[in-house]
Amino acid sequence: MAVVELVGVRKVYPNGFEAVPRIDLTVGEGELVVLVGPSGCGKTTVLRMVAGLEDISDGEVRIGGKVVNDRDPRARDIAMVFQNYALYPHMTVAQNIGFALKLQKLPKQEIAQKVQDAAHTLGLTQWLERKPAQLSGGQRQRVAMGRAIVRDPAVFLMDEPLSNLDAKLRVQMRSDVMAIQRRVGVATVYVTHDQVEAMTMGDRVAVMKDGVLQQVDKAQVLYDQPANLFVAGFIGSPAMNLYEAELGEGASSARIGSSEVAVADNVRRERPALAGYAGRTVVVGIRPEGLTAIGGRTGDSVLRGRVRLVEALGNEQQAHFTIDAKRVVAEGAGAEDAIDADGVGVARVAPHVKLDAGENITLSVDTTALHFFDPETGNAIWA
Amino acid sequence: MMTSVATPPMSRYVEKPPRPKRGSGFWAYMTAGVALAIVFIVPIVWSVLRSFQPERLSSSAPQSADFTQMSLTNYSSVSHGTYNILQNLANSLIASIGTAVLAAVIAGLAGYGLAKFKFRGSGIVFSVILVGMMIPFQVILTPLYIELSRLHLINSLLGLVLVYTTYNLPFCVFIMRNSFAAVPNEMMESARVDGAGMFYTLTHVVRPLVVPGLATAAMYAFLMAWTDLLEAMTFIQTNSVLTLPPRLYNITTSTYGALNTSYLASGIVISMIPCVILYLSLQRYYVQGLVSGAVKG
Repeated sequence: MAVVELVGVRKVYPNGFEAVPRIDLTVGEGELVVLVGPSGCGKTTVLRMVAGLEDISDGEVRIGGKVVNDRDPRARDIAMVFQNYALYPHMTVAQNIGFALKLQKLPKQEIAQKVQDAAHTLGLTQWLERKPAQLSGGQRQRVAMGRAIVRDPAVFLMDEPLSNLDAKLRVQMRSDVMAIQRRVGVATVYVTHDQVEAMTMGDRVAVMKDGVLQQVDKAQVLYDQPANLFVAGFIGSPAMNLYEAELGEGASSARIGSSEVAVADNVRRERPALAGYAGRTVVVGIRPEGLTAIGGRTGDSVLRGRVRLVEALGNEQQAHFTIDAKRVVAEGAGAEDAIDADGVGVARVAPHVKLDAGENITLSVDTTALHFFDPETGNAIWA
Repeated sequence: MMTSVATPPMSRYVEKPPRPKRGSGFWAYMTAGVALAIVFIVPIVWSVLRSFQPERLSSSAPQSADFTQMSLTNYSSVSHGTYNILQNLANSLIASIGTAVLAAVIAGLAGYGLAKFKFRGSGIVFSVILVGMMIPFQVILTPLYIELSRLHLINSLLGLVLVYTTYNLPFCVFIMRNSFAAVPNEMMESARVDGAGMFYTLTHVVRPLVVPGLATAAMYAFLMAWTDLLEAMTFIQTNSVLTLPPRLYNITTSTYGALNTSYLASGIVISMIPCVILYLSLQRYYVQGLVSGAVKG
């Protein structure tokens, strides 16, 4: 049964700005749904509408089957974790965690027990008498989670709770948050702009752009079968390489710049509508791991270009290259402001392959992993 | 193959930190600062010392600095008789404390509303309040007198408190609005989600965070009321209701007989004591209150 349902929810601000034209979304029992998108896409607005911190202009928000549009946040059986934790600085950790329970007028002993249990779950027992200023970022984040857990709500709402942490701590806290959510089994809506966080944490990921849901599915499905150019460009790091290409007869090949690349049979089988684009311009997408540097060897379905920059990451290298093709940028996916962006792309290369900026590079294309999009609508070409 | 041995981390604190080298600019700056401090402090120290001396020494020329005959006689004299200022001291305390409390409460509520609630015209309301800070009291003196007269509040400490509060509110609202603006909205939203109503949030979540602002507003209102002369002289006509500054002024102008500078000095010292106590007890809030909201915390 869906714990949270958004049905035709819309948000228009008093100045006329339509932040969310329409959104329909459900969150099931114990499910963690991640709302991800670039800054300003409306994901926090949606979260705040579920919380009751923003008025809803149209549609319904249901929690536990009941419409809660006109209910105050405290009557919605939700708990929220904010980006900057929103801890009460003048209260101890124990008082912060027990604040909501005190408002419910529970007996002191019961409050103390629940606080102890939550602190034990989060590894905060030794910090209970400290004030937030005496804690590290990760500890504060756990106190914020403790404040949410102790209320035993129907829904957790998390607004970019890890974005204030340094990179290493963020990775550690990501797994902590997931473990806690799994343990308590509460339906959770998690907002983030970090697509790596989205991919690793969510049972399902909802990609948003300009207030509209682009695709909602499991992380791997979003990665393997992006619904449109925006999702293709947004999900995955490094982003998918997108180029204009001309499809050959029968859609059996695609000309990318001066290179001819075969379209594998499985791709044509999975995308029967591709045949209808034969002889026309389409957008072809190749993930960085779908390109293999083959040095001076010749081969079919290769892209020839020049290395711009090599980023050594230890376990791999990311080779930024240019080819003589027209690059396609998905609007809002973050690459619009790149300087000298035409024809650029990124390939994953094994760590010990010698590559220098300025030298020529030949990349073999994995023709079984090509993606195709309609250049006008931006939608993926499937059936 | 080389084996490495883990060494314990070295302490990053040294026993004797090197003393910073000071140039001539530093010493010139210190000399000027000390000289200025002496210029400001000497009259106060002089007054305090003279307040313990008899009249003939108290009014003598500075070069005859004789500090031998010290006693509490002057302080005893100003507590009864012609120069009794105890009633006026009490009146000042009532008026100043009343002003501080009333101004802090009203400014607190106004600041909360202006900082945390979006309503049409809030910007205009705040601007009008700020404009009030720029109006000299003398401009509104006559209309205020007429208004208080009609309300039968002339010669009344209550009337004086209302006047002081009104006049000092713009600055106090300015301080409190900035104080509340520095409180993150998420904190209040978090309290709301946790189940707190608006008033509970104000008193239990927000209030402890704006204590510096409240202390600053209260201290400012107290000091303005305590040191005021013009309003008190305008709206109070009876000796028994007069506050301390006009009473001391009357002593200065020989209203009660020949000027006695030693009594005056002791009166001045008495009038300084509450201000010093207040400032010393609230000073850690004062700067915090003035600059809250200036930098994102």
